[in-house]
Amino acid sequence: MLERHRREISLVVAILAIGAVLAVVAPGFFAFANQRDLMLANMPVLIVALGMVLVILTGQIDISVGSQFAICSVATGVFARMGLPTPLAGAAACLVGALMGSVNGALVAWVRIPSIVVTLATMVALRDGLRWVTQGAWVQDLPPGFQWFGQSQASSELITAGCAAALAVGMNWGLRNLAAGRVVYATGSSPNAARLAGINPRLVVFAVFVVTGALTGFAAAFNAVRFLQIPSNLGIGRGGDSGGSRHDCRNAAGGTAAGRDRSGADVSGVQRVLGAGD
Amino acid sequence: MALLDATAITKSFAGVQALRGVSFELRSGEVHALLGENGAGKSTLIKVITGAEKADSGTLTVAGHVVPHHSPAAARALGIAAVYQQPALFPDLTVEENVGLALESGPAWRRIDWHARRRQARELLERSGAEIAPERTVSTLSMPEQQLVEIAKAIGARARILILDEPTASVTDREVERLFRVIGALRSEGAGIVYISHRLDEVAVIADRVTVLRDGQNVATRDMRDVDRDELVRLMVGREMQAIYPKREVPIGKTALEVKGLGCRAAGIRDITFEVRRGEILGIAGLVGSGRTELAETLFGLTPADEGAIGLQDDVMRTESPAAAIRKKMAYLPEDRRQHGVVMEMPVAANISLANLDAVSRNGLIDHAVERSLAIRYVERLRIKTPSVHAETGALSGGNQQKVAVARWLAINPEVLILDEPTQGVDIGSKREIHQIMVELAAQGMAIVMISSELAEILGMSDRVAVMHGGTMAGILSRAEATQEKILALALGHA
Amino acid sequence: MRNERRPWREVCFPNGEWVLGLALAVELAIFAAIGENFFTWANFFEVVRLSVELGLLALALTPIMITGGIDLSVGSIMGLSAVVFGALWRDGGLPIPAAAGAALLLGCLAGLLNAVLITRLNLPPLIVTLGSLSLFRGIAEGITKGAENYSGFPAGFLRLGQGYLGGVVPVQLSVLLVAIAAYWVLLHRSGIGRTLYVVGFSPGGARYAGIPVQRRVALLYFLSGVVASVAAIIYVAHLGQAKSDAGTGYELAAITAVVLGGTSVFGGRGTVWGTVLGLFAISVLQNGLRLAALPSEMTGVVTGVVLVMTIGLGRLRGRGQRNEAIIDEADAMKNSQLAILCCTVVGGALIVAGTNIWLVRSLRPADGVLTKPAAKPGKRPVVAMMPKSKGDPYFISCRAGAEEAAREAGVDLIWDGPTGLDAAKQNEVVEGWITRGVDAIAVSVENSAGISTVLRKARARGIKVVTWDADSAEDARDYFINQATPEGIGFTLVDEGARLLGGKGEFAIITGPLSAANQNAWMEFMRKRVAEKYPGMKLVAMRPSDDDRDKAFAETQTILKVHPKARLIVTISAPAVPGSAEAVQQAGRKDVFVIGLSLPNLCKRYVHDDVVQAVVLWNTKDLGYLTVTAAALLVEGRTGKDSLQAGRLGTVEVRGTQVILGKPFIFNKANIDQYDF
Repeated sequence: MLERHRREISLVVAILAIGAVLAVVAPGFFAFANQRDLMLANMPVLIVALGMVLVILTGQIDISVGSQFAICSVATGVFARMGLPTPLAGAAACLVGALMGSVNGALVAWVRIPSIVVTLATMVALRDGLRWVTQGAWVQDLPPGFQWFGQSQASSELITAGCAAALAVGMNWGLRNLAAGRVVYATGSSPNAARLAGINPRLVVFAVFVVTGALTGFAAAFNAVRFLQIPSNLGIGRGGDSGGSRHDCRNAAGGTAAGRDRSGADVSGVQRVLGAGD
Repeated sequence: MALLDATAITKSFAGVQALRGVSFELRSGEVHALLGENGAGKSTLIKVITGAEKADSGTLTVAGHVVPHHSPAAARALGIAAVYQQPALFPDLTVEENVGLALESGPAWRRIDWHARRRQARELLERSGAEIAPERTVSTLSMPEQQLVEIAKAIGARARILILDEPTASVTDREVERLFRVIGALRSEGAGIVYISHRLDEVAVIADRVTVLRDGQNVATRDMRDVDRDELVRLMVGREMQAIYPKREVPIGKTALEVKGLGCRAAGIRDITFEVRRGEILGIAGLVGSGRTELAETLFGLTPADEGAIGLQDDVMRTESPAAAIRKKMAYLPEDRRQHGVVMEMPVAANISLANLDAVSRNGLIDHAVERSLAIRYVERLRIKTPSVHAETGALSGGNQQKVAVARWLAINPEVLILDEPTQGVDIGSKREIHQIMVELAAQGMAIVMISSELAEILGMSDRVAVMHGGTMAGILSRAEATQEKILALALGHA
Repeated sequence: MRNERRPWREVCFPNGEWVLGLALAVELAIFAAIGENFFTWANFFEVVRLSVELGLLALALTPIMITGGIDLSVGSIMGLSAVVFGALWRDGGLPIPAAAGAALLLGCLAGLLNAVLITRLNLPPLIVTLGSLSLFRGIAEGITKGAENYSGFPAGFLRLGQGYLGGVVPVQLSVLLVAIAAYWVLLHRSGIGRTLYVVGFSPGGARYAGIPVQRRVALLYFLSGVVASVAAIIYVAHLGQAKSDAGTGYELAAITAVVLGGTSVFGGRGTVWGTVLGLFAISVLQNGLRLAALPSEMTGVVTGVVLVMTIGLGRLRGRGQRNEAIIDEADAMKNSQLAILCCTVVGGALIVAGTNIWLVRSLRPADGVLTKPAAKPGKRPVVAMMPKSKGDPYFISCRAGAEEAAREAGVDLIWDGPTGLDAAKQNEVVEGWITRGVDAIAVSVENSAGISTVLRKARARGIKVVTWDADSAEDARDYFINQATPEGIGFTLVDEGARLLGGKGEFAIITGPLSAANQNAWMEFMRKRVAEKYPGMKLVAMRPSDDDRDKAFAETQTILKVHPKARLIVTISAPAVPGSAEAVQQAGRKDVFVIGLSLPNLCKRYVHDDVVQAVVLWNTKDLGYLTVTAAALLVEGRTGKDSLQAGRLGTVEVRGTQVILGKPFIFNKANIDQYDF
């Protein structure tokens, strides 16, 4: 146990240490309300990180999720304004995300361009494409039932937390116990051996990018319903390029590099997923 | 009836014809050796049989049925299993998972039964004669152990057709014996085994029939009983080979390398003492893991020693780094040619000048004309077959790559040359040429240390034989004393 | 036969850089045709001048990526060096050369830190430099507290970044040329360079060949630190200011240039030549789009496509040359498969593009029709107008008025600017406009010290300059269109807050970025008013939102928890007000008031829900309208002494060189529905 989860344990220790410092410096940090706010604010990061875990397990990287997130957010709003019920709008955003993921995946898997190059290109292209199209305009005048899926705030927060937790736990379990999960590990470990074992590594890599795109759409939808309007720069972050890169790097690093006072929520969440590995 | 029948297979890569209508037949209950120099088409044929490559034309018949669309998955379903020279395992996964992934089938969303997996892995490992815990991670296994895992996978797949691609390349004689027992057992169960090796003596022991490939064509298929070694060699190279080892007696000069009480904890060697004289070839024998390569790496400064001393050029020291060793005119040809010996992606010329950039540079800047002429000199001297000195080294055959690696070290005019498995995975023609070069160098007064797992090579080429066991020097035998039995006894620690 | 020389194409373009060269040639041809004053020497040097800093970083990254490493910290080393340089000069009183020396030393140390962590502790470069990226930027922000901006450097120093040798060749070009030559010799001529390639192809092989791998790699990270601080000093001289955000995002841009230039991310392959080509492919694209008055967002889209195309073509062309693993040859694609794949990719792109176009339709404000450049440019006067940030809803609402004025006054309007808050980008855009030869420039200034030099240059070329929304130095422009005095805004906000609180209680401020000159001036007057008139009110917190809704949301949540007694949030950034409002609403704190400075449309729902009590603003459409009108009048020379005849706004007062829009206006539940912007 100690040996197998060495890395996870060192993270847990680090989180506990930060927690201890915070408990002394800012006792309010552990108040229920603050923890809930932290969790909700980081839920999108967690869900995107789930997809990122898959990508990294296959030995690839996706730095374009920030741009994908922005586009999926806007898409959620636009679909909702077209009259789709909010959950359907969210599903449509997942589709948009999966579509963008499939472009990444196809370029990585079949054209064999390194994933860092592909996603660097799509990150820039998608981000500027969105800006070009929206000129920075927010999606406004969302239908009344948009916020909180038309539920009460409390139940919507429960839904969000529940979905994210279910996703994390489900993926953890699936990666460990489903053949499809093991195939992801196998592909990352040795694509060549995978091919000889009758696995199509290209297909796996492609699928993993598609899933990450879909999860990004999912996260974007859950994030969007917390507000009444949707800015078109979500996830690309503040201050343009830098925010984008930082946000992406943060996701790429599995959430470990998140902001100081935020680290608690997302690292532990991600770690639950990473725990499947090693 | 033939288990497998490949008829008139052709295959070309980027315009190069690798197979020109090869036919090959494998029967049930036989070990069928597949011989040929590097580049003769053995690997390509294997890949076609296992579905890793699609043939351009020709048919493949397995157990009487023509296989229309071949793929690794189809090959698996047909009971074809292959153990490659470089095992195709998942290094980050456990042994049981490696076995499981290869054997299980079913929908992608099925749940994995971990208990059944472990049980199965344990049983298969037992049958393949391996003592490996199923929960170990593959990356912690040695090369021979990994090959055993591959064989366990093949047994588990109830492979009717088992292909072994140079399974003994990096294995000691004792491990070879164990492997042969497993092969024998499989044969008696009616499996057909394709056995590829450069070691003709092994082939003589294990094979029932032999097929020789040359230039992508099937030169001959014979019963093993009907051919002798010389004929096989002649078939492979297409010309008569003379004496097997070109070893010549040359005058032995003064001491070039003196090692006293050398030890290195990180490398796992201790208390090593020996010397090598000018003109002498010192063979170093020992089992895999006995510390031969580790000794060489300590001498060369890759893992600096922490006790003892190395005497080089009237200086007593411990080499701190390869650069220091090179300054003292010591050279080391590493065991792993692909990873360490040459840089595959770089041109021949750059590889040859790499350890001696100062000689081809002025004021730190490379003089390309000087570099080219240096490279051309060695290409001609070692008869390296390459279209040009600017050709990528990776495009050459294994033997020529090895010669490029040797050329790099000759370019520094070494006084001590350490060769680690210099002829491993090299075709017979090149092997002979490399031996010839060694003899010439010794005649010029170079001191040579040769590490080899092939006893015949050790006995054939060495003036003296040092035998290692468990990280120490078990004994040093003169050419007259050295016999296969004595070396083995020392290597096993029985002396 | 062995003596044969390699074909020249292989010698010059070992990694298929010719594909990129071709792309660059196509770019040049297109922009020569459609860009104004594009194909001129002056513009050539302008492009070079603006790519010096990025070029230096890209050069430093090239050998690092050839060894299979990466340095993400170059941008933040730039930021840190710039800030230390500025601080030592201004606060430390050091002469410029000494301060520059110290900044270089700092670059050495920063590079050394990366080098030690990577080579001594054997940590992966990606992780190390990702960490030091945050570390250096953090230190820089710590030194300046996020707000300090060092400026006022002597002219002799600024010549390094703004001067021209012989009137044509930018001074800093010499630095870039020296760096290119040095890196070219290092990589392609020297023995060390040869060993770097070996390290990239095969680190193990390098060790076994006696190459001191760690020392070589350490040297590169060290050099990259030094080069980054050289870039920092040029950057400071170029912009005339040193701020902690210098070089933000440069690392990715530099990596893009390097990768575009054919350097393999796996190490081993790459040339200095390729990197230079990659760099210019990007900067020519940016410059060309600007001169052709095409949307600058195309840069990213085109860069992305070119990146995938060049690398993808190289990949497909190069396949089958080497047989590395079993998998590779076996999977060599058939043409039919390739065709299907291309179709999929193109199809996917089309769908994305399609949904995007459709998004535009639904997003574009009803009256915000994009003005097309007139069919015959040059006949009508051209007014170029720049917001602080294109994506900010506040500026988008200004644009509508600007376009209306352009139609009325019969001028062509170019609307372009940075996509985020980026002072350096503002300079670049203005430089582009000067080259293009527009008639008037109107800028909402992000950083006064930085842009004033460029604006003076524009005036010297006879271009009329107007600042709006936020001002530059007084001598750098003809008019400042003042939407409202800082005093008026600050006092109105405090008075409104005091009215709600009944004159006493705790309150908090959420501002934009800490360095924003506008907001800082307003806050100054807010403090003054509180001190003078409302002693019972207490400011308990002041937090930045960086003009980001979600950050304002999180900051407001924190304030509500940490200061439960605060009953008023004053948010003085347009996108931040909805964030604050949402946080208050979700917390269920009906006792907390939110007021601020924002657009009526963004806040309408919150005003109706009684979350936001008041929004203070001027009419933003009128601001845009007045700016363009004033610019047009300046071009036509029809300006009065202390008033302007500004179309539908009638006579507008001019005080000195300031054009006053009017008084700030308070939107509340009663009147907000009458406004739509």
